[in-house]
Amino acid sequence: MANPLLEVRQLNVAYGDVRALWDVSLEVEEGSIVALVGANGAGKTTLLKSIAGLLRPLGGQILFEGEDLGRLNTKHRVDKGIVMVPEGRRLFQTLTVLENLRLGAYLPKARAGYDDSLDRVFTLFPRLQERKNSKAGLLSGGEQQMLAIGRAVMAGPRLVMIDEASLGLSPILTRHIFELIVALNGQGATVLLVEQNIHMALKICSKAYVMKTGHIVLSGTGEELLADVDVRKAYVGERGSRL
Amino acid sequence: MSSLIQVVINGILLGSMYGIAAVGLSLIFGTMRIIFIAQGTMIVLFAYLVYWASIKAGVDPYLSLLWVVPFAFILGLGLFYVLFRKAAALEDRNVSLLLAVGLMYLIDNLILKLWSATPRGLDIPYSDAMIVVSGIRVSWLRLALLGLGLGSALVVYLFLKRTRVGTAVRAASEDMEATTIQGINSVWVCAISFAIGIAMAGVAGVGMATVYSFDYQFGFVFAIKALVALALGGIGNVFGALAGGLILGIIENLAAYYVGIEWIEVASYGIFMLVLIFLPQGLFGRRGLVKKV
Repeated sequence: MANPLLEVRQLNVAYGDVRALWDVSLEVEEGSIVALVGANGAGKTTLLKSIAGLLRPLGGQILFEGEDLGRLNTKHRVDKGIVMVPEGRRLFQTLTVLENLRLGAYLPKARAGYDDSLDRVFTLFPRLQERKNSKAGLLSGGEQQMLAIGRAVMAGPRLVMIDEASLGLSPILTRHIFELIVALNGQGATVLLVEQNIHMALKICSKAYVMKTGHIVLSGTGEELLADVDVRKAYVGERGSRL
Repeated sequence: MSSLIQVVINGILLGSMYGIAAVGLSLIFGTMRIIFIAQGTMIVLFAYLVYWASIKAGVDPYLSLLWVVPFAFILGLGLFYVLFRKAAALEDRNVSLLLAVGLMYLIDNLILKLWSATPRGLDIPYSDAMIVVSGIRVSWLRLALLGLGLGSALVVYLFLKRTRVGTAVRAASEDMEATTIQGINSVWVCAISFAIGIAMAGVAGVGMATVYSFDYQFGFVFAIKALVALALGGIGNVFGALAGGLILGIIENLAAYYVGIEWIEVASYGIFMLVLIFLPQGLFGRRGLVKKV
């Protein structure tokens, strides 16, 4: 069997003396959507940051296309196609939409594909084309999330890691963003999704991992986990709404 | 009336120097989040080098721009990587600030050792050249200062707005980690903006060598003037910083002419405090940069 696109093996991460991840392992197959769910403080963002090269693990391995990323810095990981959409979007507020997108395609490889990537982003998010000269800080919440994802698309990603795409968005906008994530995946990008809106994340993913206090406590297909009584009770809630 | 115009014009010309220094401070503040207190001392150091080149080798101070600016840029890169690289990554900005204070006194005393405490100033053959328009006299040398200020502010502005690295500098001054996440080497971006800030000190050094008499203690005073100019203009705006310098120059000259020369500092620091109290974002600064709690 071919290697998964991303494989995390026995990853351990700490902030100073505080342990954040304990022997975390997961696999993301090429072309899939994988969801990572769990309560606040479970270690989801820590895991994404470690994969992005923003945190140095204590031990364990992160393999991309079968190759150990070791101590490779963020720049080289982005160059390999590992791109993160950070929690809270983290747009450059005083820069225009177009400038934000340009920074997403900063590295030489991404810059070479700039025109194609820009077309792709504007096809996916026509709203961004209309507002391309606006300052990012003046966009609505939904537009900002589109820009955050669009900025990641500009890097020509193989793997897009999206941290809390639905944060602060209305249910309608959340559904729209999820549709766009599915569309992005349909264009060939593999997606690793961290979500508090567990119900919706489980519906669109092919596989999901549940995290709790730094451990992976459960994994399975989206349907399996949706059907799992424990997960429903612990994370999805009675009416299947958000936490 | 014509004397008022003369005073204002003199103020603008004098203030160009503050403006150039403030543009440099603004760039360094953007990514390092400290007031680079050694900026004035760097200016004095470059003024000495320009002075030396003129005395020893007969190099025209304005011609010195050609070597002192690239030299300052490279020195800036070196200083960043040796002194500030680690400190810049710390949450606590005080370490960087303390390093800047240390650097200031180190260079001050190095200058004292190398060139003694005697104030220096260049005798420039064309320093008396004036343009006279309906009774208003403008010295060519000081007019050249204004040109230097406008020219260098324009170059910095175009760099920030039109180039890829400049855009990354603006991004990094907003959110360093988000810049790193884009695959941008944000340490390099900080180094570049710091080095351009020091290159601006090189430009100001040429100006200082041509119109001031300076000694080893002049740097700190000048850094404070640049800080006042920056606060007047508002942080995060290149032309605002330059304008802040010009306004400070005008205030100083008006105070000297109408109240008395001993009131210069009282007036300029008084207005500085008033601006900070009522317009903390400065006269041209971005609103929202100074957040209300």
